Formats: sequence, structure tokens, C-alpha cells
Amino acid sequence: MVEFRWSERGRRTACNPSSPLLPTGSLVSFFAAALALALALMLAAPAAFAQPPPAPLAASDAIVPPRLVSEPAVPYPVGASGEASVVLNVTVNADGTVRAATAAETNEPFSSAAARAAMGWRYDPATRGGRAVAARIRVEILFSPAPAPGTAPATGSPSAPAAAPERAPAPARTEEVLVRGAHEEPSRTATLTRAEVRQIPGAFGDPFRAIEIMPGVTPIISGLPFFYIRGAPPGDVGYYLDGIRVPYLFHVGVGPSVVHPAIVDRVDLYPGGYPARFGRFSGGIVSGETVAPADTIHGEYNVRLVDAGAYVETPFDGGRGTVLLGGRYSYTGLLFSLLSPSTSLSYWDYQGRATYDLTPRDRVGVFAFGAYDFLGQKLPDGTTQTLFGTQFHRVDVRYDHSLGEAGTIRTAVTLGEDLTDAGDGQSVRDRLVGVRTEITERLSPVALLRAGFDAQSDSYDVLLNSGTLGPTEASYASYFPTRTDLAAGMRGDVVLTVMRGLEVTPGARLDYFGSQGATALAIDPRLSARAEITDRWRLLWAMGLAHQAPAFAIPVPGFQPGGLRGGLQMSAQESMGVGWDLGAATTATATVFHNGFFNMSDALGVNQSQPSGCLPGSFPTDTLAGDPGGAAGSHTCGQRFAPGTLGPDRSGGGGQGAESAGTQSTIQALEARTNGNAYGFELFIKRKLTEHLGGFLSYTLSRSTRDYQGQQFVAAFDRTHVLNAAAAYDLGRNWRAGARITFYTGLPKAPDPTDASTRLAPFFRLDLRLEKRWPLKGKAWISFVAEWMNATLSKEQIGTSCTLQGCQATTVGPITIPSIGVEGGF
Amino acid sequence: MVAAVACGGSGGASSTPACDPQCTDGVALLALRDAIKLVYNVTLQGQPVGAQDKTTPCPQGGTAHVHGTATSNADQGTTTVMLTYNLSQCHYSQVDSDPSHAFDVTLTGSITEQGIIAVQPSSTTSLVLQSSSMTIAGQVYSPGIDYKETACAVLLAQDGSNLSGTLCGRPAGVTL
Repeated sequence: MVEFRWSERGRRTACNPSSPLLPTGSLVSFFAAALALALALMLAAPAAFAQPPPAPLAASDAIVPPRLVSEPAVPYPVGASGEASVVLNVTVNADGTVRAATAAETNEPFSSAAARAAMGWRYDPATRGGRAVAARIRVEILFSPAPAPGTAPATGSPSAPAAAPERAPAPARTEEVLVRGAHEEPSRTATLTRAEVRQIPGAFGDPFRAIEIMPGVTPIISGLPFFYIRGAPPGDVGYYLDGIRVPYLFHVGVGPSVVHPAIVDRVDLYPGGYPARFGRFSGGIVSGETVAPADTIHGEYNVRLVDAGAYVETPFDGGRGTVLLGGRYSYTGLLFSLLSPSTSLSYWDYQGRATYDLTPRDRVGVFAFGAYDFLGQKLPDGTTQTLFGTQFHRVDVRYDHSLGEAGTIRTAVTLGEDLTDAGDGQSVRDRLVGVRTEITERLSPVALLRAGFDAQSDSYDVLLNSGTLGPTEASYASYFPTRTDLAAGMRGDVVLTVMRGLEVTPGARLDYFGSQGATALAIDPRLSARAEITDRWRLLWAMGLAHQAPAFAIPVPGFQPGGLRGGLQMSAQESMGVGWDLGAATTATATVFHNGFFNMSDALGVNQSQPSGCLPGSFPTDTLAGDPGGAAGSHTCGQRFAPGTLGPDRSGGGGQGAESAGTQSTIQALEARTNGNAYGFELFIKRKLTEHLGGFLSYTLSRSTRDYQGQQFVAAFDRTHVLNAAAAYDLGRNWRAGARITFYTGLPKAPDPTDASTRLAPFFRLDLRLEKRWPLKGKAWISFVAEWMNATLSKEQIGTSCTLQGCQATTVGPITIPSIGVEGGF
Repeated sequence: MVAAVACGGSGGASSTPACDPQCTDGVALLALRDAIKLVYNVTLQGQPVGAQDKTTPCPQGGTAHVHGTATSNADQGTTTVMLTYNLSQCHYSQVDSDPSHAFDVTLTGSITEQGIIAVQPSSTTSLVLQSSSMTIAGQVYSPGIDYKETACAVLLAQDGSNLSGTLCGRPAGVTL
């Protein structure tokens, strides 16, 4: 999690600017020396920054604390007596709701009563530079008993005197405000909170499913959760949850995300030039953060046509500890048994988290989660043949130590298992053990250090029916041997407030890769900057190098090529943008970017678009009987096998190790390494979707190219324009409706003498959402939600198929998901 | 799907076997042909034309040794073979949603393969497979039916995807 932490006590800091700045001459132009600088700053910063007073605050940094707007009454606890004072630490979300309320010191039953009541308060959120931000405030509540029998129970109040007839508790006061600054990192193009994601049609309330609307993200096929991010292939995109690497985020096909959406606080997309804490991926980074532990019991549930899920969290031991349990189970098998009796499909996931505060500054916790997906075919003998089955599990044991307002230290050990069952007795299992330690420490008012170390061992057990694979297939299968890989990295960066309104973050990573005796070292310098131009305008700049071990085409648990064959992948990423606040809860960013790829694994993008079958006017000379061509996906107009070699025996159509030219071409692509470039422009305008009328517009104009075997061409999944736009509107009476459109340019088209166009047809789809919410007692609520992804039933063109009679587009779909369900919470 | 292959109909009534002896012979032939095909593909496919001599382990145990000569015409997509396969306790199984394509057998014996293998599964493949002593043991069909033929003579002709001839003196055939 990357956040700029901002501290203010009684707003004194905001009103007391001082001037002295760091000497900045040496901080401007040394990207190449960023590593040395970062290390020097880490070592020297405490001394160098100890004396200067705090950096002045830009006008745009002015902080306004949260203001209580709801009924503040706190019931006097039944059975209690006497006066009492309770100080609460209240965390107020950017939308004004209370995320957590914890008594600073236990004084039962008053502290529990106060915390319970505070969870229902509503605030005008804190603002920083006019923008709503989350904040933590300290609130003192004074309890006094009722003066005499028969009078109304006494109350406590955080902001207003209690009613006159009672012995009113003294009005409480806000003692301290800690605003968790929401400085966007220069490399982070979009952040979406769960509350906003809930309103995005077609996302089904899943924060991770909302990735596809973010700028820079190019889908392979509409609805499928595999993306190119600024030209980087799906296999080069890293997925994190609470800093823990996970192999994938979505259940099979177009399924939901692998964690219950309600425990995901927010999702950040870093398409390039990301902070030093992200490493060993050379494409984009998708990072999810779970909600902070809450000290009141709460939960959510949902029941839909295809699955049901729930989670609940409760405190124990007076709030020192919390336990969260959640999960989801799909009963899609019931639907499939009706629609396709021979197919079996199922998925489930689980999450469990426990935390315990050993001291006010020390917390231990464990976070366990996992997911299972299965696609199979039922056989006549009653058994089910596995076509595709995956699962992964993670257990993360953490120790968090707070340095007060100076920062935090986290030390964690992660155990995990990834398993993919490819059917027919073939499987890949990865048992992993990882350790990591992270420190975030404010070295001075102008320097925030973020550093860490991590190491991970992956033990792969691979069972492949190599005896049934053809020579080319067997050659590629040898890339996945049983072995143990080791990777380790150390990193650090320093967020420097160089001068008023200018923030520079130099940093670097050093990573070690080891597999099957092959080793590699990578040094990845990173540098980003954020400059306030006016109260509303800021410049954002990010660049860096990123290395990665060879990757499989798409993220599949355990499918990691071994031996570092072909060497590390590398990308050089740079972007520059401008962000501005348009007012009325509306923000915008516009970014230009360039990514250079070197030695990249991109099996999907490396093949130039080719038609299946033979183009009109050509005749398949490679068959004895003038066969006009094979099935879609095969290339039958070339020689079927290399001259001078023996061809395959494809009697019966294939199998038994027989390799087609298409198979060999695919495997060649999997082994290929390419160079390439991606450049473009991104625009993201968002008005909070939780507003009366909210919405966003996300647009990407880009071009992605590949250099391969001496040729330069447009990447196979390049799309010139990608547009997502949505609006959500409060219809009143707790009805809320939304619509979203998705548009993108078609894929590059194979040469076709009958059609001069260079692209397949563009794609357009419309998603709809309608929700009715009923508030129930207390904080409880229930909603009816109807949602439909691809209500236009649009099909998508993915290729060209030719016969002697002519060529036509190959289409898939419509990939459409209608959903009706009930959601609720308390 | 179930009824669409060589074995024909299937059992609804308990008195009618799901796969009669002719059917089990057909599945056994398929197993033999697929095993030979597999051995060829994993050893010789992609190799230079000329004399051949390769040995490979079978998927579930045992070995297969193939030797002889083979030439090809890449323009026409054909490979001409004169090969001998020596199978020694060669264990091979296949799971398939089509019950008549499911088997789990162990093969022992020597069999020759002569003719043209074409890339397309059309009428262009023309082969003769012959063995004086082939042992086939295991289970065929799904659910599995025990099957065992010892030191059996085999004479088969493949025309495209159709395989027919005699197995242990009995007429037998299967569509690949």
C-alpha cells in the first residue's frame, strides 16, 4: 500500500508554514544514480532533515477535519454508574462513513458503548486541498448518569451538548486529527474504492473486475479477465493482495474475483514506473488492499443466480483482537446441469483473518485466503474428466509494529500452494515460502522512507505426460521441470518534499533470480515526481526499469518456466501526466506514456495476424486431394512440415503427439522473445460514483508494436482506442441506476485481398445496473441488484477465416452475464 | 455422441452388453493403432528422412522400439514409411468422453507398418499393418471391460480414417 501520510495536530501545522527546504540541486537530474541517491538519503536523511522545520504547505494542502453531521447521541450504558470519559480513535472514510472506532483506553462498559455508537455516525469527510480524504480523529466523550429515576437515559455526545433535562455529558471535543493523505502516486493512474466499484455497471461489485475500466488497460476479449497494460502482456502483470502475490484474481472464465468484494478496500493500478516495492514484474501492477480490522461486529452477504457469498468480522477481548471469516460458493453446476449436462463447472473461495493487538503499538495477525476453480466433462461411466482445474492458497502471518506517527514496520511470512490440474494426469504444483519485511518511516517532515526486503522459494512438482507429447510440445514441456526456484529482492525509496508543492521519489530495487542453477541479478532504478502547479493542477511523472523472469502467456497457477531460459525480460517505463481537480467531487488525469520492452515473453502478441484457411486466389498445394483448408486456427496454405523431415501421423485427426503446423507455431510463440514498444495517451475523468450523479470516462489512445525475427509489426492485441464511460444516478427512494458503455478498436486484421481494411470491426457493449436499497434497523441494509454485462449481446471479432469462396471474420460471443441478486450488510 | 462410433448402440437394458465382442475388438484395434501412432509421433515426427532407429518409454510403462526407413514429400504432406515396431509391455491408456475410444491396455509384440501417412485425415492415408504375434491385455471401453488376446495374428489396412482387417482371425474394424 502506498500512501502519503499526513499528520496534523489541531491544524497547527497547516497554519504554521515554514520555509526552509532541502538543497535540491542534486535531486533533479540523476535518474541513473537513483539507487545511490536513495541509499545515501536513507543513511543521511535523519541527520540532514532533523533540524529544518517542517516544509511549508501549499495552499492546496490545507486540511479541514471531518465534521459530524449525524445524530451524535451515545446511550448511557445500562447498568453503569458514575461519570466517565472515553477517548475514541475514529477513522472516517473519505465518504464520511466511519470505518473504525476504538477506545484509546478500556473503560467498560463506556468504551464499548461509545465505540458502538460512533460506528453509526456520519461526517462531512476531511478534505485536503478541497478533496475528500480519509482521516483519523480522536474524540472525547464524557458520560454522566441521569440525575434521577424517571428521566431519560443520559447520553454522551462527541460534538453537542446533550438534552437539557438530563445531566448532560460535557460536550466532547476533537483532540487530534490525522489525515491519511491521498496523494496520488505519480505512477498510479487510477484508484477505485469498493463503494465506487459497487456502482459500476458490469463490474458486479467486484473491485478487481473494475480493472478493465482503468486507462491503459486493453482487454484481449471483452469480459475475460486477461489484459494488456500499456502494451505489456497478461503474463507480465503482477497481482497483489495486501502485498501478497497471487497468481490470478478471477474465477474461471468470466467469474467473479477470488476474494469477497466487501473485504477489498480499494484497488490500485500501476501501469508503469511503479514504486520500488513492486518488483519482479515487467508489466503493470494491480494491487488490492483489504479493509482495516474493525472493532464492531459487521458483515455482508450476497446471493446471486450463480453463487452466494458472505463475510463477517467481529472483535474480541474488548476490541484488541478481530476475527474475519468470508467466502463464496458457486452453484453454477446446477445451471450447467440444465444447460449443458456433460459439463461440470464450479468454484469457491475463502478468506480468514485474525488480528490481535499485543500492545497499542504491536499487532500480530494472520490472513489466509484461497480459491478453487474446476471445469470438467462428465463421462458415461459417471466419472468426471478434468479439463482444467486450478487452486491456490495463501497463509500470511504478520507482525506489525507502529512507530507512532513516524511510520510502521511489517514483518511477514507467507506460505502458499498453487496447483493446476490440466487433466489426463497432468498437473503442476508450486509450494511457496516467502518472507518479507517492510518499513515506512517518516525520517523528517520532508522525507518518508519506504524500504523492504523479501525472498521467496518456489518448489515446483510437475507431472506432465511427456510420453504422449510430440517433439515440439515435449521440448516446451521441458521448460517446466520439477525444481526449486529462489527469488529475493531489496528495495527502497524516499518520498522527498523538495520544495513547496514538489515531491520527488527516487528509489531502486535489487533482485536476485535463481532457477535450475541459472542465476540473474537485476537493478531497477525508479524515479517519480509530483509537482503542484496550482491548487487544482499538478504534474505527475514516473519512470523506471523493471525486470522479470520468463513468463507464461497468461497467469496460470504454477506455470512458471524454469531455468531462466532466454534470460530476464526487461521493460523501461516512463510517463508524464497532469492531474486536476474539477470541483464537485470530480477529478481528472491525462497521461502520456512510453514503454520499451526488451527480451519479452509475449506468446499472444508475437504472432502477426494471419487468416486461417487459404486466401481467395491461392490454392492449397500441400494436399493430395486439393483439400480447401483446415479448421479455423490452422494455417494450411504453407507446407505441413519442414522439407526433409518426417511429417506427423494425424490419423483420426490428431492426438497421440501429432503436431500440426498450428501447434508448432503456437509453441514457437510461447518460446519467442521479442522487443517492442507501446506509447499512447490516457485520460481518466471521474466524478465520485457515490454522488447523486456520478460517473467516469476512461479513454486510452495507444499503439503497441513488436520486433520479431527482423520484422516490426503492430502487436496482435493492439487496440488504438479503448473507451469506457459510465454514469450512476440516484433516482430517489434508494433507487440507483447506472449504465456503462465500452468501446474499442478491432484487432489488427490479417491481409485479405478482398478487404482493404487493416482492422477487424470495433467492439461496443452496454452494461446496465439497477439497485434498490432498504435501510434496516441500525446499520443494517439490504439491496436488490439487477445487473447485465453486455446487454446489447454484442459479438466480438477475433480473427479472419478464409476458404476458396472468400474470407469472413471469426467471432466469439456474445459473452454476456445477466445477474440478479440480493445483497445485504450489517 | 456415445452411439456415433464403431461400437454402435449402447446398453439401455441390462441384458444387452454395452460393448459386444466385436465392439471390444474394435476398441482393442484402436488402442493398438493409437499406440503405434504415438510411438511414431514422439520418436520420428520431425526427424530427418532416411533410416530410422528410435526407442521410447511408453506412457505408463514398458518400451517401444521403432526402426526401418521413412521418406517424405512436404509439398504433398505425405510420409512414406517401412517401419517395424517392437512393443515390450507397452502400457498405454486413454480417457475419452466417447466410451468406445477409452482403453487401458498393455501391448507386447512386433508389428510392421508400410505405406503412406498423409497429414490430412482424409482418404490419402494408406497403410498396411501386420503382426504374427501381438498380445493385447487390459481393459477396453468405458466402463472398462476386461480384454486379453495372447500371441494373436493381426492384419490391418488403413484407408484414410478407416481401419479394417482381422484380429486373431476374426474380422475387426474401427473408425479412427
